[in-house]
Amino acid sequence: MSAGSMLHERVRDTIKKRGFSALSAVQAESIPIVLRGDHLLLIAPTGTGKTESAMLPVFHGMISEPPAGFRALYITPLRSLNRDMLQRLEWWCKELGLRVGVRHGDTPAAERRKQALSPPDLLITTPETVQALFMGKVLRKHLANVRYVIVDEIHELAGSKRGSQLAIALERLTEHAGEFQRIGLSATVGNPGEVGKFLCGERRFSLVSVPVAKQLRIAVEYVGENFERQAGFVADAIDRHGSTLIFVNTRVTAEALGHILFRRGDVEVHHGSLSKEVRIDAEERFKKGEIKALICTSSMELGIDIGHVGHVIQFGSPREVARLVQRVGRAGHQLHTVSRGTILALGFDDLLESLVITRKALAGEIEGVRTHIDAADVLANQIAAMAVEYGEIQTEKIRRILARSAVFSGDPHLVDEVSRQMEQHRLIRLDGERVVTTSRARRYLASNLSMIHDERKVPVFDMVSRRTVATLDESFVVGWVQTGAVFITKGQLWRVLDMEDGRITVEPAKRAKGELPSWEGEQIPVPYDVAREVGALRRTRDFGAYSKRAEIRNFAAGFLEGIDRNRQRVPTDGLITLEDAGEGVVMHVCAGHRANEALARSLSTLVSARFGSTVGIEVDAYRVFFTLPRDVKAADVRDHLLSLDPEHIGGILRLALRRTVLYKWKLVQIAKKFGAIDPDADYERLSIHRLTDLFDGTVIQKEAYRELFGSYMDVAAAAEVVRMIRDKEVDVVIAPLSVLGAEGLFSSRDQIQPPGTDQAVIATLKRRLDQQEIVLGCMNCRSWKSRTQVARVPERPQCPNCGARLIAVIKPYEEEQFALANRKRKTEEERSIESRLLRNANIVLSSGKKAVIALSAKGVGPEIASRILGSLTGGDDFYREILKAERNFIRTHRFW
Amino acid sequence: MRMDFIEGGPALVVKNTMDVLVIADLHLGIESDLERHGIHFRSRSAGRQEQVISCIEGADPDLLVLLGDVKHNVPMTSRQEFRELPGIFSSFRRLVEMRVFPGNHDTGIDRFLSPEELMPAEGAVIDGTGYLHGHTCPSPSLSGHLICAGHHHPHIALQDEVGCSLRAPAYLLADLSAECFGASPPAGRTRVLFLPAMNEFSGYDIRRILRDPFSPLSRCVVKETAEVILSDGTYIGLPDTLEDT
Repeated sequence: MSAGSMLHERVRDTIKKRGFSALSAVQAESIPIVLRGDHLLLIAPTGTGKTESAMLPVFHGMISEPPAGFRALYITPLRSLNRDMLQRLEWWCKELGLRVGVRHGDTPAAERRKQALSPPDLLITTPETVQALFMGKVLRKHLANVRYVIVDEIHELAGSKRGSQLAIALERLTEHAGEFQRIGLSATVGNPGEVGKFLCGERRFSLVSVPVAKQLRIAVEYVGENFERQAGFVADAIDRHGSTLIFVNTRVTAEALGHILFRRGDVEVHHGSLSKEVRIDAEERFKKGEIKALICTSSMELGIDIGHVGHVIQFGSPREVARLVQRVGRAGHQLHTVSRGTILALGFDDLLESLVITRKALAGEIEGVRTHIDAADVLANQIAAMAVEYGEIQTEKIRRILARSAVFSGDPHLVDEVSRQMEQHRLIRLDGERVVTTSRARRYLASNLSMIHDERKVPVFDMVSRRTVATLDESFVVGWVQTGAVFITKGQLWRVLDMEDGRITVEPAKRAKGELPSWEGEQIPVPYDVAREVGALRRTRDFGAYSKRAEIRNFAAGFLEGIDRNRQRVPTDGLITLEDAGEGVVMHVCAGHRANEALARSLSTLVSARFGSTVGIEVDAYRVFFTLPRDVKAADVRDHLLSLDPEHIGGILRLALRRTVLYKWKLVQIAKKFGAIDPDADYERLSIHRLTDLFDGTVIQKEAYRELFGSYMDVAAAAEVVRMIRDKEVDVVIAPLSVLGAEGLFSSRDQIQPPGTDQAVIATLKRRLDQQEIVLGCMNCRSWKSRTQVARVPERPQCPNCGARLIAVIKPYEEEQFALANRKRKTEEERSIESRLLRNANIVLSSGKKAVIALSAKGVGPEIASRILGSLTGGDDFYREILKAERNFIRTHRFW
Repeated sequence: MRMDFIEGGPALVVKNTMDVLVIADLHLGIESDLERHGIHFRSRSAGRQEQVISCIEGADPDLLVLLGDVKHNVPMTSRQEFRELPGIFSSFRRLVEMRVFPGNHDTGIDRFLSPEELMPAEGAVIDGTGYLHGHTCPSPSLSGHLICAGHHHPHIALQDEVGCSLRAPAYLLADLSAECFGASPPAGRTRVLFLPAMNEFSGYDIRRILRDPFSPLSRCVVKETAEVILSDGTYIGLPDTLEDT
C-alpha cells in the first residue's frame, strides 16, 4: 500500500486540492512511520517537503479523533518561523476543519485569553512559550490532551541550553499528557543518533535521512582583501545569477556590504538587529521578486520561506561544514534540483579554510551537534519552574522527570546541589524531601522563561564631548570595567571615570599599556578538524586536489613561496612556529579556535606566573598572539609549550579562568538563572569583582567551568596537540615574523593575570620610587647639593665639583640636614646627623644607584638600607625587601 | 603609638597605652537591601561575625571600636537586623569591651547597645586617637589627633605593565585642613585615616573619593598629602603612582 493511500480520505482530498500530484520521497518514507505511532527524526534539506512529511500523518490522526485541548504542538526556534508556519498550515487546517493558533512572546493578550478559553487543535509556538504554558492552571489542563509534538529545526536547538530546557519541558509535559508522539525535523548533522536521543530520551525512534551532499555544487573564488573589490564581486554574482542570498558572518559586515550595494536598488539587508517590520518587508519583497538579493546572517539559515533562491553566496569562509551545507541548501528550493553556491574567499587563511570546508561538505563530513548535559543553570531554571507548577514537589519526582530526558545524566547529587544553591538565593524553599515555591519564584520565572541571555546595554558617556559615544554589553562592564580602567570601543581608547546611574562616564585616554580586552561577543569557531586539514594543505601544497581553478592554485602556491623566499617558515599541521612581533609573540598552531583558546590560556597562565606580569592573548583558528612584557620572548613561550604536560591543561585552565572577563561574564549569566541576580539588577550597589568571588566552590562556578570547557575551549584537542609535540609528530621552531603572523583578524581577547598580586604592587613601588624627589649632597667637598628625581640619578652618582662619589641621599623634607651637618661648630645632635649622612653616602659609594633607590624609600635610613643591600638580592626580590622595610616602618610611631 | 594591620579583616590595631581593635562598616543586614536592588543572597552575617571574632581572638585587644555602619538598613531597622544584631553584639561583648561610633546607617542601633557602648556620632578621642564614622563634621576635640574614620570604603586598583592586576581594599591617609573644625582654632597637625570596609560587597575607588569627596571629612582632605596603604600594611604612596599617565 502506498503511503498516500494510508492517509484519511479527507487528507488525501486536500492533498489533491493543494495540487500535489505525488508525495515526495521523504514524505513517502516518513508518513507510514508516523502513522505507525513511532517517534521520528527526519533529516532532510530545507524545501524537500519536511513539514508536510510530519504534518500530513498528524492531520490524519487529529481528524480521526474527537477534538479536545491542544492536540499538537509545533515548536520552532524562531517567532519568524512561527509566522511562516502559520501561513503554511492555516490553509491545510481550514480545509480539514482543524483550528490552528500561534502563541509566542509577541502574541497579544486578547488572543492568549481566547486560546485559554477555547484552545486550538494545533498550537505553533516557541520553546520559551512552552515554558509559559505550564504556569497557568487552565492552560495546564489543556496540555493533558497533547498527542503530538513536532520540533522543527531541532539541530538548532539540540546544541543549546534552550534545547536542554525544551527537552526537560517535554518530560514535564508527559506528566500531564502521558506519552505522546515526538517528531523532530532537522537539517543535516554529523550525529543523528545524539539528536534523536535529545528528542526522545531513551525511547526508541525511527530515523529518515536524506543525504544532502550529492545535491550541492559549491565553487570557491578568491576575491582579495580589498573590500570595494569584494563588494564588486558580489554585485557581479547578483547580475549573473538573479535571485541571490548573500550570507555574511557578522552584522557589521552585513551593514557594510549593504552600504555599498544599496545604490543598485535591488538589494536589502536582513539581520537580527533590524526591526521585525523591516525584516518582514525585505522577505516579502524578495519573495515577490522586487529585489534580487538579500544580504543576511545566520537568521536566514533556518527554513523561513522566501520563495525561489537561484544562488547562494557565502561572503568569507563559512567556518563550519554544517553551516555551509545549510546555507547553500537554501538555493534551488524545489525538490530534486541542485543547490548552487559560491564562497568568496577574502584572504589566504580564508581561502584554504573555504577549500577544506567545501571538500568536507561534498564528502558528507559534517560536524556533530553537542548537547549540553547536566547544565546546572538549566536544571535550576526547570526546578524553579516545577516548584511553581506544582506549588510543592517531592525531590524524588523532580529527579524522575529530569532523568527521562537525555540532557541529564541522572546524578542525584547534582539536583541536591542545585536546589541548595537556589535556596541560598531564596528562589525556592527546601522542606525535607520537598521543594516548595516562593513568592519570588513566579516572578523569577516570568522574567526567566528563556535560557537566552538577553544582555542589557550600558551607555558610555564621554565627559569631554558630553555625549554618549557607545554602548557596552553588561557582561563586559560587570567583568572588567572599573574606575581607572582603560578600554577600547569604536576604535578609541577611553578611561573610566565613574559608573553611576546605569551609565559609564569616560574620558578619552591617551595611551594604554599592552592590549586591552575589547569583547566582541561570540563568534563562530573553526573546528579542530578543519584547521588541521588547512595545516595539512599548507604542508602538501596540493591545491589541485581542492580546486580546479588555476588562479586559486597560483595564488595559494605563490603566497607560500613568498614566505619561503623570505626565509621564513610556513607553519603546518606538522610545524608550530613562534615569531617575535613588536609587543609580543605570535604562535602559529593549526588547531582551530577552541583548541587554540585552551593552549593560549594555559601557556599565558604559565608565562604570567613565571614572569609575574599580566599577559594579553588574542586567538584565532591558526594562531595565538601573546601580549608580553618587553623582556619575554618567543624562546620563553616555546620553553613553556615544550614543558606543558597534556594531563595538566585542564587544571591550569581551571585556575586561570577565574581571573578572566570571560569567566566572570559566564558566572553572572548563570547566577541570574539561579535567581541570585535579577535581570535588571543594579550593580552600582556593590563591587562586582567581589560578587563573583562569592560563587567560589558553588555549583554556579562548576557550571561556568563546564560551559567554558564545553563551548569555548577544547581541552582534549589542546592536549592532543601537546602530545603530538612530545611524540615529535609536530616540530616547534622559532622563526622570523612572517606575513602569516602579521595577518589575521583576531576573534577573542582576554587578559591572564599573574596568580600573585605581588607584581602589581612591585610595579607600583618602582613607579613611585622613580618619581620620588630627593636631594643629593656631596659629603666630600660639602659644597654641592642638587634636587632631582630617583629616575634621573646615574648608576654611579658623582659630585660635579670635586669628582668624589661620596654622595648622600636626603629626603626633600630633611634637606636642611645637609647644612646642619656642614656647620663649623656642631651641637651633639648635629654631629649625629653628620655621621648618619656620612654612613648614608658610604652606602651610595659602594652600591651606587641601588643604594639611592633604597634610601629614597619610606622610612629607610642607612641601617635598613645597608641591611637590604647586604642581603644581596636583585631584581624583584630587592624591591620586596624594600616593601618589607616600609611595612615595618609604617607600623611604628615615627610614621604616625 | 604603633599600628598592626590585620589583612584578613581588614582591621586595624591601634597600640598606645592599650590595644584598640578598629573595624569599620560591617553593614550587617546588607542582604535585604541588595535584594531590593535585584541581588539575592541569604544573610551572610554569620560569616562577618566569625571574621570579627577571629580578629578579636588574633589581636587580643583591650577594646573593640566599631567605626559605624554596623548595620545597613535606614531609616528602618529590618527584620533581619532585629533577629541578628543582639546575638552578634553579645558574642563580641563576651570577648572584649566594645564601643560603637554610629554611622548614617545606624539609626536605631541604640536599642541594641548599652549607654556606655554608644559613642557620639561626631567622634571622640580614645587613648590619644580620634574615632568617628565619618559622615558628619568631626567634633573639635579631635583636632590635632590622628582620626580613624569609616564611611568611605576605600578600594584601589593597581596596574602592572600590561594592565590592571589587583583590586583590593586599602587605607587612605591624609592631612585635614583647618576649616574642617570650623571656627575653633586648629591644635596642630590633624590627619585622617580612612579604613576599608569589612564587607565584601562594597568599595569606592580611592581616586574617586579624592576627586568627588562626598562627606565633610573627605572635602577637607589635603589631596597632596594623601597616601595609600594596602590592607596588609604595604605602603603604596601617593594615589598618583597608581597609574602612569
